[in-house]
Amino acid sequence: MEKTKKRSPQPFAGEIEKDIAAVKEFLPADDILVYRFETEDKKACAAVYADGITDKELLGQLVAKPLSLSPAPKTAQDARQLLYFPETKPAKDVQTACDEILAGNPLLLIDGIAEGTTLGTKKVSLRAIMEPQTSITVKGPREGFIEDVKTNMGLIRRRLKTPALRFETMEVGRASKTAVVVAYLEGIAQKEVVREIKDRIGAIDIDGVPDSSYIGKFLAKKSYSLFKQAGTTEKPDILCAKMLEGRVAVLSDGSPIALTLPYILAEDFQSSQDYFVSPYRATISRILRTLAVIVSLFLPAYYVAAELFRLQLLPFGLLMTISGGVQDLPLSPSLELFFLLIVLEILIEASVRMPKYVALALSVIGALVLGDTAVKAGVVSSPAIIIVALSGISAYTVPDLTGTLSVIRLAYVVVAGSIGTYGILLFTALLAYYLVSSDSYGAPLLAPFSPLIRRDLRDSIWKADIYSLDTRPAVLRVKNKTRLKVRNKEKNG
Amino acid sequence: MDKIKLRQICFLFAAMMPITKTIVYPATLAYTARNDLLWSALVNFLLEGAVIAAVLFLAKRTNCTFFELLQNTFGKVAARILYGLFGLFFALSALLPLMEQKNFVTVELYENVPPVISFAPFFALCFFACTKGFKSIGRVADIALPVFVFCFAAILLLALPQADFAALLPIGASGAKGIFGGALQGLNWYTDCLYPLFFLGHFEYEKGAAGKVLGSYAAGSAAVLVFLAVFYGTYSDIAILQYNTLAQISKYATAGTSLGRVDLLFVFSLVLVLIFYCCVPVQMCVHCISKAIGCPPVWPAAVVNLLLLAFTIFFNYSFAELQTVFTQKLWFVFALFAYVLPVCSLLLRRTANSPQKEKSRE
Repeated sequence: MEKTKKRSPQPFAGEIEKDIAAVKEFLPADDILVYRFETEDKKACAAVYADGITDKELLGQLVAKPLSLSPAPKTAQDARQLLYFPETKPAKDVQTACDEILAGNPLLLIDGIAEGTTLGTKKVSLRAIMEPQTSITVKGPREGFIEDVKTNMGLIRRRLKTPALRFETMEVGRASKTAVVVAYLEGIAQKEVVREIKDRIGAIDIDGVPDSSYIGKFLAKKSYSLFKQAGTTEKPDILCAKMLEGRVAVLSDGSPIALTLPYILAEDFQSSQDYFVSPYRATISRILRTLAVIVSLFLPAYYVAAELFRLQLLPFGLLMTISGGVQDLPLSPSLELFFLLIVLEILIEASVRMPKYVALALSVIGALVLGDTAVKAGVVSSPAIIIVALSGISAYTVPDLTGTLSVIRLAYVVVAGSIGTYGILLFTALLAYYLVSSDSYGAPLLAPFSPLIRRDLRDSIWKADIYSLDTRPAVLRVKNKTRLKVRNKEKNG
Repeated sequence: MDKIKLRQICFLFAAMMPITKTIVYPATLAYTARNDLLWSALVNFLLEGAVIAAVLFLAKRTNCTFFELLQNTFGKVAARILYGLFGLFFALSALLPLMEQKNFVTVELYENVPPVISFAPFFALCFFACTKGFKSIGRVADIALPVFVFCFAAILLLALPQADFAALLPIGASGAKGIFGGALQGLNWYTDCLYPLFFLGHFEYEKGAAGKVLGSYAAGSAAVLVFLAVFYGTYSDIAILQYNTLAQISKYATAGTSLGRVDLLFVFSLVLVLIFYCCVPVQMCVHCISKAIGCPPVWPAAVVNLLLLAFTIFFNYSFAELQTVFTQKLWFVFALFAYVLPVCSLLLRRTANSPQKEKSRE
């Protein structure tokens, strides 16, 4: 743990004013306050705390009140016994005490005692546990992680009441001192993966970690990769399910997003709801998601390629309709599609950031002015708008991949506009080579399709029934493979 | 070590091997063997299958790589020279499929023939693939299998109603000369049997491996034979004019429908498999040359792909001449490298285990 200032530890003097001055020298900020009070026999006491992150009511009720009603204790140990508060720690030197104050734990000083006591009365304003906006389900749990790592750990512990659940806390960030927690199930998660994750987190030397995505960047083996290198979730039920499969979770204080490793691409095509509905419905949903991604990626590019290079691909009737639509257009098909895709990206970007009270006005401008009027003015064609809209909507069936899909979609339009269908095929082959040679902590990104892992196909595009999912995913290479021990299908059925 | 799985070798033969034999090969075969084209192809398949069986027999008896076997027998320098020669052979064997692919792409994927430079990005892709080793060959084979099975079946099903299989009768009408002439001229399409030799030591030989590999090879061969039968049944006497067969075979089923040439979507998907497979001989070439020189594959990959690009541009308008040279003049080179030498490798001196693996065990 990095101390506040790297110099030899400074012990407490035992004189309250000198010790307060020493602490204030380390922490001169205005939000570091001193609460002075006296014991029954008028001995001076003080609590030094960071305003805003300390529970002052608890401090008064459980610390100041018992001390003021008792004669002065002789030692710090005696003082701790007087308190009505369980979470106390001795602080031998000023630097350690300052670290605790900054973490929200006040420091108790008593005149004549050369040892401080830190009190676990940290209090941070938190938002309520609610359903995350990024993964809303019709059926299934609605709890989501919040920005407090302790609460998030509690949410996990509530679902996994096993001694095998391990939380290992590390501190990252020279200035932010963010608590980063590596969570896993002992005996299920691969030890090598846990060790490598801890090593990588331990090696991070950065000033601050505002969000878990920062940690994700350091955990990635290819930091320049187009594809995600770690799975993400905001829901404890999903996280626990992934941990039960053998994955390792990384939680970061201040972030509601948990990372999971190893990550495979097929994860993003799964939804928590798939496990709460019938396997048939889940399979259909997954096929639809896959088709939607294919449509999202290829439709704009094929439209450009078909129009520019291979009109035979289009049925005659459709060709006539499109020909009528694109007649006298000033832009080439590739430029038209590229322009519309950029407009789509701008609209998405604006709709995410704009204040809600202007959303309606902007939607009207986006839909009517940019869409309808642009077609009437002859700047773009109606088929192009339909294709871009369909492509844009389709990408959101797999929300975790939307960013990647939009970049690849633009690249596809560029290659389709340059060398047509062959460009699309070459770019697809390039992506395939790239993906098959990528892995996340030993798990190939394209598994279970490449390399083909037959057993894992049961929970890929095809979702088998619960009795068939009796083992953990083979791609994670966990030693404890069994999930469902008794196949009492007949008994239950 | 750069590993490939036995299953992936099977997929390579079942799903990727047939695709290069569906472009110019059927028309070439129809020209020489006419309605006996199936028998010519069968001769080639049996010959190639026998070589694969021989290599698998070798794989059963050793876990050394081919390079280690050569090194054990002839010494390191000779092994490197031989690897260099195999590298050159792979480059040679890659040239015609590349030209075939280029012609197919330029004719079938464009309304107007594009400049040859449109084909150049293939070599950038191939360079990338060459730096990824055998593992990438195996893993793209995993992807290729479902694409091939679905799209190939769809095209055959579309073409089947137009096929009159009576065109294949009477059997043996072109005589032994036609059948074996066709087999001889088709040799340059049958170099796939060499790949398992270079996969030696890179895959784990398990029980029943020979059966699996030969079974998948038989499945791939059967797919080609069915394709040839449907093709000749559809086009009969004018089959010799149908270059780029893959795109021609199902066109009558879809051209007049309200859906348009929907079969082209399957053809395009199969071109993806073709792209994967055209990279394989180049990847093998780079593997051999980097082993021969003893350097990482990046530089050989760059040089080989640049040279192949230059050859493609140089022979842009000479495909017919190139094909004549390859099928009629250079058949003995293909016979030597693809058939004779792999069989001769059975005579190489083997050790119980690969020296490298022994060392790593220690």
